[in-house]
Amino acid sequence: MRLQLGYVPLTDAAVLIAAVERGFTAAEGLEVDLVAEPSWATLRDHLALGLLDGAHMLAPLALACHLGLSGPQARLIAPAALARNGNAVTLSLPLWQALDAASDALPEVARALARVAEARLAEGRPLTLATVHPYSSHTYQWRRLLALGGSSLSAVRLVVVPPPRTVAALERGQIDGVCVGAPWSTVAVEAGVGRIAALGSAIAPDCPEKVLALPAEMEDRAAPLLRALRRAARWCGDAENREDLAALLGSPRHLGLDPALILRGLAGSLRLAPGGPLVEADDYLVLGERELTPDPAGIAWLVDEMTAAGQIEEGAAPAQAVGLYRPDLLAAA
Amino acid sequence: MPDRAPPVPAHPAPSPGESLVIAVVDPSRARAAILEEGLRAVEGARVVVIPDTADLLDRLSALSPDVVVIHLESPSRDLLEQMFGVSRLVERPVAMFVDRSDAPMMQAAVDAGISAYIVDGLRAERIKPIIEIAILRFNAFARLQRELSEARSELADRKLIERAKGILMSAKGLTEDEAYKQLRRKAMNEKRKIVDIARAIVTAADLLG
Repeated sequence: MRLQLGYVPLTDAAVLIAAVERGFTAAEGLEVDLVAEPSWATLRDHLALGLLDGAHMLAPLALACHLGLSGPQARLIAPAALARNGNAVTLSLPLWQALDAASDALPEVARALARVAEARLAEGRPLTLATVHPYSSHTYQWRRLLALGGSSLSAVRLVVVPPPRTVAALERGQIDGVCVGAPWSTVAVEAGVGRIAALGSAIAPDCPEKVLALPAEMEDRAAPLLRALRRAARWCGDAENREDLAALLGSPRHLGLDPALILRGLAGSLRLAPGGPLVEADDYLVLGERELTPDPAGIAWLVDEMTAAGQIEEGAAPAQAVGLYRPDLLAAA
Repeated sequence: MPDRAPPVPAHPAPSPGESLVIAVVDPSRARAAILEEGLRAVEGARVVVIPDTADLLDRLSALSPDVVVIHLESPSRDLLEQMFGVSRLVERPVAMFVDRSDAPMMQAAVDAGISAYIVDGLRAERIKPIIEIAILRFNAFARLQRELSEARSELADRKLIERAKGILMSAKGLTEDEAYKQLRRKAMNEKRKIVDIARAIVTAADLLG
């Protein structure tokens, strides 16, 4: 069987990339073309219109597409999650200094951020904060972080910046902060333009992140791909393979970045501030066989967050939302 | 978007003849120019090309277009989805593509590499010609590009064959016609293209010379 699988070049596409590039899909008799997509919107359209047979996708975007809220409507299924956590909130150095947080602890950072956000709103120049797509856990992590400190999304200007442009946007002062997936926070810190202020794993631990999204018609044909993903996830979760994986992801045909920076996220060893020490963050980004099973509770979380962000009306989530996650297909594969 | 929450009061849709602002966002300046020229034919339309750069968001906000036509391969599409999306902060909700029931047109647009974002409430008969023109122009541009690259490679092939002929003529004392015949015979015997034989000769001559 020949499959076209889309992804956006990010560390958490690792399991999908490794499944193809380390021979796990070929071992299942699959011929896979990996297609790097320039934006989540393009990936969604290609998947919804049948130009892709499956994709590495933001879980909220998969749900929004499934419900007809974003792009061409398509019935999708998500039989596997691809990673656990992986995002971080990175602030520009001027904003981090303005925060003057009492400590690095999440409640302190949230309080300080909310205080600055409200002050800037009152001055008529609200903070500009970046996410990666309206339907993303990144958007919801911003909302939760601001809420934790006593503010809200309506106090800031929320914009989308494609991850590869976030470093330049921070540097030029076009954005004051970004919530973005690995490895882009590390890239910003290394470029000396950002300070990691909070990890996604602390703001919303183990919330739905990327899933493998398939058209619903693929249900009966998904087993070989799911078996390949399970073996790839096991391979990615083995610490011995980390350097090989970082080199694979860093290669020009995928992320085109220094593997050493990708390795930090994979190893859970992050530099939070330019020139600062490496800090252990085991849960920052977790890959492995156990992480593959999508937790059905994630759907309720997504619906709550979409409602809180004003993307769907209170109590308006259609019943078909629960049909997106299909852990049964993974278990049966 | 059929099943979305009712939008915040949108701008009234312009009636036919009334001015309509179309923004064209494309990383390729040449393609943007071709598209702009085509869209000028739309009645009452003002077409503005905005470069696909970091200040795109500010420029689009200032322009407040009714329709944005953007190349499918632009990473800035996600930015537009937020800007025109479902957030409560947005004043002008925008739907993607034309009428969602028009599946063939949506497919044609994606095949051509186009996506468009359109202010809710704009009537289908106003939108359809815009998307049709965009599809035609994008396809024409792709064809031009293909022809150009074919012409370039044909020219390069011809130069290579000329050089190989020259090498054979001076090495073996042949006329131009004889040299070409030898190349052709060799290619036929080996079931290869003349240009491949020519490339081998040129490479060998470079190494030996």
